[in-house]
Amino acid sequence: MLLRKSIVPLNSDATGRFLPWLVAVMVYLAALALVSAMAMGKIVTRWDHGLSGQITVQLPVSESDLSKAEIDTRRENVLKLLLQSPGVLSANHIGAVETAALLEPWLGRSSGFSELPLPDLIAVEIDQVEPPNTAVLTARLIEIVPGATIDDHQRWLGNLLNLARSIEIVAALVVLLVGLSAVIMVVFVTRMGLAVHYQIVELLHLIGAQDGYIAREFQGHSLKLGFFGGLVGVALAIVTIFGVGKLLGQADTALLPALTLQPLEWGILGALPFASALVAMLTARLTVLRTLSRIP
Amino acid sequence: MVRFQDVSLRYGAGPEILDRVSLDLAPGSFHFVIGASGAGKSSLLKMMYLANRPTSGRISLFGRDVASLSRHDAALLRRRIGVVFQDFRLLDHLSTLDNVALPLKVSGQRSDEIRKDVVELLTWVGLADHLDAKPATLSGGQQQRVAIARAVVSRPSLLLADEPTGNVDNRIAERLLYLFEELNKRGTTIVVATHNESLISRFNYPVIRLVRGEVRLEHAETLIRSSDMPARPPVEPGDRDTSLPVDGEPGSAG
Repeated sequence: MLLRKSIVPLNSDATGRFLPWLVAVMVYLAALALVSAMAMGKIVTRWDHGLSGQITVQLPVSESDLSKAEIDTRRENVLKLLLQSPGVLSANHIGAVETAALLEPWLGRSSGFSELPLPDLIAVEIDQVEPPNTAVLTARLIEIVPGATIDDHQRWLGNLLNLARSIEIVAALVVLLVGLSAVIMVVFVTRMGLAVHYQIVELLHLIGAQDGYIAREFQGHSLKLGFFGGLVGVALAIVTIFGVGKLLGQADTALLPALTLQPLEWGILGALPFASALVAMLTARLTVLRTLSRIP
Repeated sequence: MVRFQDVSLRYGAGPEILDRVSLDLAPGSFHFVIGASGAGKSSLLKMMYLANRPTSGRISLFGRDVASLSRHDAALLRRRIGVVFQDFRLLDHLSTLDNVALPLKVSGQRSDEIRKDVVELLTWVGLADHLDAKPATLSGGQQQRVAIARAVVSRPSLLLADEPTGNVDNRIAERLLYLFEELNKRGTTIVVATHNESLISRFNYPVIRLVRGEVRLEHAETLIRSSDMPARPPVEPGDRDTSLPVDGEPGSAG
């Protein structure tokens, strides 16, 4: 009966049958790229927050046979020097238990830390506005304890930030390429649909249909396919994320982040089917309008 | 209503299909377009329903220069033109009702109004029992009526028919022309392209004769009647049959 919504029978032909599955793969890849970028961002933020405004002084113990009393005296001297230095807010010795906890992410819980020649560590909180000159401080420390070093974490953190930024750029490129591929696919599918149904399109044109009316026939179809594909892709991505999250949870290390998403991040993932539907719809519309513009 | 001024048409680098054609069709007129195959009848009609644009010259429809129309306005103008295509161009996946309703649907009419108008029209052309039938299940004559119903459903000011009698015998062709005549009396300008000169001879309307891309008329309103084209005998009101044969009736094609 009349009033069937679509005049061009796009649902009954094969032109768009594979499109949802290709969109699903694309959205799946995009979702994983986004989650990777978000996870990396989280690691960096956590480490950045944990390490900014801090330096660590390491006093070696392996190269000298010192008694415990000598080690304690040496440490006290260093603490005194540090606290008298400009730009140092506080200095605290990191005990054996805390040191073991710090090493746990790298070495796991089962390692025998007591057998290792671990350095004496001092956590120093510094003024971030007027930080101490680490070169001068190191020189003064070496006078008291030969071989003493200062780790200001910045080089390590800087590399990490660069890595994170690289991963974010790669993720953005993946999303961009995936989006571009999706657009190209929709263009081809729409053109195929136009070619298959050219006679119907031409008839509609000749009986007075506006270009937008004809475009709506195709864009509505692409919207549905894009949304369905997007849903499947996101569903597969969520399954993958849960799987990877579970694997990470089982790993005996705290170095890797827990793969849990915040509501906003879930929102971004949830928006992917809508984004794929929108991209598919707009692409189909523009393709049809462009093709129709060549018909007098 | 329809004005061609020195209109020429060629497809690509091919020869001139129409060569500096000028004609002027008044509102409410009825014209035949005749000519041998390849003379340019279909091309002339295609330019009238804006499927083709001229290579040179100027076409005016309803007083508007076609070349200056925006796409939006061209679409609105097409809604005032009904076309009976030579091959009917019915959509196979749509029912009779849906096919006839297309022009109303694309012009944005409300569904309940569309249904009322379409059912009324299909009843008039004798297809009230085939509302839900698909074109493939209809005979050639029935398909032709669906095509005609679709062309007139939006009450066009200009009706163009390209070889509408090509697939039917003379008796049905004659009835079809009576139907067009009825529409013409209601104010619709009619242009019928045909190569059936014997049929033309029975109807007393002006003829646009195309010969090798040229119009053999200076004034399209002038009646051309070849010496071998006898005038139509007077038709008594009782003899005039504007109803088209119903399905299965002898003479219906398909």
